[in-house]
Amino acid sequence: MGTAVPPTAVVGPSPARTPDFWLVLLVSVGGALCSAALVFLAATSESLQQRSVSAALGIWLTAPYIAGGLVAWRRRPESRLGLLMVTAGFVIWANFLAWSSNSLLYTLGAGVQFLVPAVLLHVFLAFPRGHLRSRLDRAIVAAGYGAVALTLTRMVLGEGGERNLLAVVDNPAVVTSLRAVQLGLVSGLLLIGTASLIRRRRREPPLRTPVGVLAYAFSLGLVMIALLYMVQLFAWTSAIQNVRYATFGIIGLAPFVFMAALLEARLNRASVGELLVDLGVNPGPAELQEAVGRALGDPSVTLAYWLPEFDSYADVNGRQIEIEDLPGRSSTPIVRDDVPVAMLLHDSALDEEPRLLTSVCAAIGMTIENAQLQVELRARLEELRGSRARILQAEQSERQRLERNLHDGAQQRLIALSLELGELGDRLDGDAELRRRIDAARQEVTASLAELRDLAHGIHPAAVSDHGLAVALESVATRATVPVQVIGATQDRMSEPVELAAFFIVCEALANVARHAAATSAVVELERTSAALVVEVRDDGIGGASADGGSGLRGLADRVEALGGSLQVWSPRGGGTRLRAEIPCG
Amino acid sequence: MRVMIAEDNVLLREGLVRLLTESGIEVAGTSGNADKLLVLVDDDPPDVAIVDIRLPPTHTDEGMKAALKIRAGHPDVGVLVLSQYVEVGLAMQLLGDSAAGAGYLLKDRVSNVKDFMDAVGRVADGGSAIDPTIVSALISKQRKRDPLDRLTPREREVLALMAEGRSNQGIADRFVITLRAVEKYVSSIFSKLDLPTTGSDSKRVLAVLLYLRG
Repeated sequence: MGTAVPPTAVVGPSPARTPDFWLVLLVSVGGALCSAALVFLAATSESLQQRSVSAALGIWLTAPYIAGGLVAWRRRPESRLGLLMVTAGFVIWANFLAWSSNSLLYTLGAGVQFLVPAVLLHVFLAFPRGHLRSRLDRAIVAAGYGAVALTLTRMVLGEGGERNLLAVVDNPAVVTSLRAVQLGLVSGLLLIGTASLIRRRRREPPLRTPVGVLAYAFSLGLVMIALLYMVQLFAWTSAIQNVRYATFGIIGLAPFVFMAALLEARLNRASVGELLVDLGVNPGPAELQEAVGRALGDPSVTLAYWLPEFDSYADVNGRQIEIEDLPGRSSTPIVRDDVPVAMLLHDSALDEEPRLLTSVCAAIGMTIENAQLQVELRARLEELRGSRARILQAEQSERQRLERNLHDGAQQRLIALSLELGELGDRLDGDAELRRRIDAARQEVTASLAELRDLAHGIHPAAVSDHGLAVALESVATRATVPVQVIGATQDRMSEPVELAAFFIVCEALANVARHAAATSAVVELERTSAALVVEVRDDGIGGASADGGSGLRGLADRVEALGGSLQVWSPRGGGTRLRAEIPCG
Repeated sequence: MRVMIAEDNVLLREGLVRLLTESGIEVAGTSGNADKLLVLVDDDPPDVAIVDIRLPPTHTDEGMKAALKIRAGHPDVGVLVLSQYVEVGLAMQLLGDSAAGAGYLLKDRVSNVKDFMDAVGRVADGGSAIDPTIVSALISKQRKRDPLDRLTPREREVLALMAEGRSNQGIADRFVITLRAVEKYVSSIFSKLDLPTTGSDSKRVLAVLLYLRG
């Protein structure tokens, strides 16, 4: 192997750290204590009316984020969404501290009240990778967090009465207008965030799984919160309770869906294990590609094998391919012994599962060598076929040039000469001897012309190039030694190499009929399919012919194969001979 | 008689002009390509257009296409196609559904002045001129239970001359026999081949060629 290196740097997904067991245990215990604390807070609250309902609601909104986030964090550390969800759970929990009669706890809870929509926005917009992808998303979330400043300002201005430790002055009028501004602002941010989610869904290929689609559907939750705020803002009191319960329902369910989407089956190591079993010892290039597609849940997967000697990538059939940046498609390098050996071309949605990609790439890196060699072999065959076709084409052009020269050069001159001789002979009235000799000379020239014509035809059948297969085949059929029926010849022209190949096949086949077949008739049938010209020559002779018998058929087979076609001969003894060639034509 | 010529080889074109002029035929226009010929014919249709089958720019089927165009657009203009090679398929393509005023000859034939002038004259008069090579290929074509086997050698010769487009008088002259004798051969041939007797010479040519083509 050469030392050429594929033109793409190897960039693996960044290593992800799994939170250790103790940390998870600590957070779980913390979550459980917080839930218990909520029950206590609700029970002792002086401001709450429906204490048990409120406690249940509080737990419903807090625990799923902490629990779901923990699972997601532990299982999919490369997506920081899990950690973010845990954080969101604690922020939501802190917001319920405002139930307390204790001034410090109340102040804390009231202070983080508007942190809840901000952190929820963050979670929804960061799904599924755990980080914000667009500048718009980052701006929305930053504004959401920034809006907390308005809460603090309101509290300084005395909102919430005596429990508020931050109160400096008492200005209820400004507080009310500030609250309206803040409600409007946060509702707006939530709606913009939803719009951003919808836009992203349209632009990017989704995770192609039902749960992934469901997760996006939960962006509805953001709209619901916005609605809830606007209900407060515009004092729409009717139906507020229904909206509130529906919103809480959706917000509480969201973490479960996010978690499920993250953990979905195709990530797991089991599918990589199955992949290895699938592959066996020496998978072929196509099998490998298929198995990888199955393991990744992406049937569009293409494996581009790096062929150092060709300095290019090739597909499973050895045909050269370019690695292009296409929308919705991504490429991941496959490395073996620190040398890139192939490129995995896949749906961009898989970028969100770097760990799965890494495992699959590592798994195939171990078995890819054989497939790579096979692809290289195929690439060589492809190259060989290409050069055969080029040689054939070059020979053809040269023959055509020769034929042209003979016809348009020597032959024209000879015709002019014989014309001159004919005229001279015609003018001689008296001298019979001279006239006889000129006539003999003229006939000599005519004979030379006939020989020249045969020679030119042997070099290149001009009628095929000039007038097409149908015209040329009629002469062939007329000159044949047995009655020949030509079926399906039309005036439609095909490319010259195809027409010439078909012509030579019919000529050779009919010549064989004359020599060996002892036939009484033959049929030439042409059929144009969408991809190929099918030529069939059948006779009713004694059969027993073979394409490998050193006959002209071998040469024809070579010609047809150089064009990417095939030639087959059926010739049972006593059963006639049938020759069929398929010549690809675009 | 007025003739136009499309031939890209200057030597040959000038030879043809000389030959025709000396035979008392007016050469009303010459051209080295098909397009100019078509313009000349459209402007002032001659009695015959003599067309080289290979003309620039590609030297493939330009001449043939021009010939077919003239036959379609000017049924009264005879078209004589000259070619370096002759193909049965091209002859049939040129004739289409009528042999009237159509000729297809090997270029070599120009050297036989008398025969060539005869062919030009026939095509000008609405007759036909088919190269003997084509006719002989068609006559010797293999057929199942060949009906031509029923013809006598002389009848075969007469059939060939009919297929070339010659008139009864022309055949009589060729064999130095009476017109009456030729007519006898012709009617014998037609009845042996089960061909319906036809009116004009050119209809007879087409009928015979189609019959021979099978």
